[in-house]
Amino acid sequence: MPISIHTKNLRKTYDYFKKEAGLTGSIKSLFWREKLYNEALKGISLEIEEGELVGFLGPNGAGKTTTLKILSGILYPSGGEASVLGHIPWKREPAYQKQFSIVMGQKNQLWWDLPAQESFTLNREIYEIEDKTYNYNLEELTELFDIKDLIDIPVRKLSMGQRMKCELAAALLHSPKVLFLDEPTIGLDIISQDKIINYIEEYNRLKKTTVLLTSHYMRDVERLCKRVIVINHGAIIYDGSVENLMTTYADHKIIRLRFYSEFTVNGLEKYGEVLERDRLSAVLKTGKSNIAKTTSIILNDLPVEDLSVEDVEIEDVIKKIFTG
Amino acid sequence: MLRIITRYLRLYKAFLFQSLKEDMTYRSNFLTLVVMDIGLVSISVILFKVIYGHVNTIAGWTFHQSIILIGTVGIVREMAYLTFRRGFLELGNHIRTGTFDIFMVRPIASNLHLAMRHLSLSESLGEGITGIVLIVYGLIHLNNWSWISFPLYILLLFNSLMVYYGFSLIINSIVFWVVRSQELNTIIYFFMETSRYPADIYRGIGKVIFTFIIPIGIIATVPASALTGRLGWDFAILSLIIGISFLGIGLFVWKMSIEHYSSASG
Repeated sequence: MPISIHTKNLRKTYDYFKKEAGLTGSIKSLFWREKLYNEALKGISLEIEEGELVGFLGPNGAGKTTTLKILSGILYPSGGEASVLGHIPWKREPAYQKQFSIVMGQKNQLWWDLPAQESFTLNREIYEIEDKTYNYNLEELTELFDIKDLIDIPVRKLSMGQRMKCELAAALLHSPKVLFLDEPTIGLDIISQDKIINYIEEYNRLKKTTVLLTSHYMRDVERLCKRVIVINHGAIIYDGSVENLMTTYADHKIIRLRFYSEFTVNGLEKYGEVLERDRLSAVLKTGKSNIAKTTSIILNDLPVEDLSVEDVEIEDVIKKIFTG
Repeated sequence: MLRIITRYLRLYKAFLFQSLKEDMTYRSNFLTLVVMDIGLVSISVILFKVIYGHVNTIAGWTFHQSIILIGTVGIVREMAYLTFRRGFLELGNHIRTGTFDIFMVRPIASNLHLAMRHLSLSESLGEGITGIVLIVYGLIHLNNWSWISFPLYILLLFNSLMVYYGFSLIINSIVFWVVRSQELNTIIYFFMETSRYPADIYRGIGKVIFTFIIPIGIIATVPASALTGRLGWDFAILSLIIGISFLGIGLFVWKMSIEHYSSASG
């Protein structure tokens, strides 16, 4: 498979000014400012093949978004090289810009007061999409994302999940070869998250579009991607299969328990590692493989009022990668 | 070249329709803005009326010639609203919140995309209408003008728009460093306000500054002079050179500045 995205030792340093708190600090900073540097990317090297669906995982501020912004030509890197579809992104050549799309979970690209349909027609002009292709793609995308009834309603009246579906459709009308998704599920409820994830998966399967997706939800990446790149403090700390990541570093689940009466059993350890223990509640960390069995034993043994099972946080996974 | 021009004309049309549809969702705003514009222009007319109560000419300009000058400012401002003006007013917000990202990834020049994204008909219509009314009124009372000067007048209006755009590009490029654009646009506002006065009032070094460095003198005085038969060919050509230079410098500064865009994260 040909290489779609390639970077070598990509670096980005932001400079900013130190400002002390309070009004005095503000006044002082008018006359004298200390320049500080923040190394957002410390040499990112990666290669992504055509049609791959890769998850970019990391805590907030790890450098995921910065990488995506450099690859889409929004930011200039401080050093290193990158090429996407044979183009250097920050040259911002229209020939490249017509072949990719970026969707940002926190930045709305549709016209707020108008129905999504209007933004679609505008995109047809912007990307010079031929009528035949446009009609075909529109039909296909509204079908695939199930948005036929939504595209005539002003965007501001849509729910976040509905809006994200329309954002995705708008970004895909020109059949991009590369799709960057920056936290596409942020702020959505679980059901909408799953839907969006399913749509992305389906689209990638159908069109063989290369997708690079950032998220700080383990769930998204686990469900969607075969390959995952974990980034922390501007450096890649894991690049490999999701399966391996999960079995090696994220093989645990968190069980949160609330009890309806106090009890004095000391043997909570037998169900898993006790992270917290209070009078009427407890948090346990336990193996993923026999989670169903463990929970049923807990329900049987203890006066449980409420029980929930959660994934481990990305921060825990990262800690584990470092400690081995 | 021709292909690029037709492409942008098509885009302009698409964006204009989009803006009109958006404007219509807030209809009530429209009338208020028109009335406000007419009010503001009336104030300058009254001010000139008061001044001309004491003198016959200002730097050689009669009252009715000055009326044409004020009308010309209105028309240039209208043209600016129909092209780039409001985009610059929104630029600070786009940079602060990081939504400027969108202008960096589309296959359209970022400066033109910004301009077209915020076309505004309703916000400016009053200035255009009063501008035309004032020019017609002025011409009725003047007798030394001819229809031949109209093509030159229109050419010079577009030249003024280029000067205005170039100047706005240069000033607004500072936003990429300071992030806030409110104060910068106050500078541009005064730049346009000051262009209401005939540039002939400046002498010596002032004339040089207000022609070449802060080209207030070009914006309205030059086209209005052409219409009232006061403009020589030499100055007309000089104005066109200044217009093209300002646009060129503006585009260059803008291109340099967007490299400094750091995008808000989130």
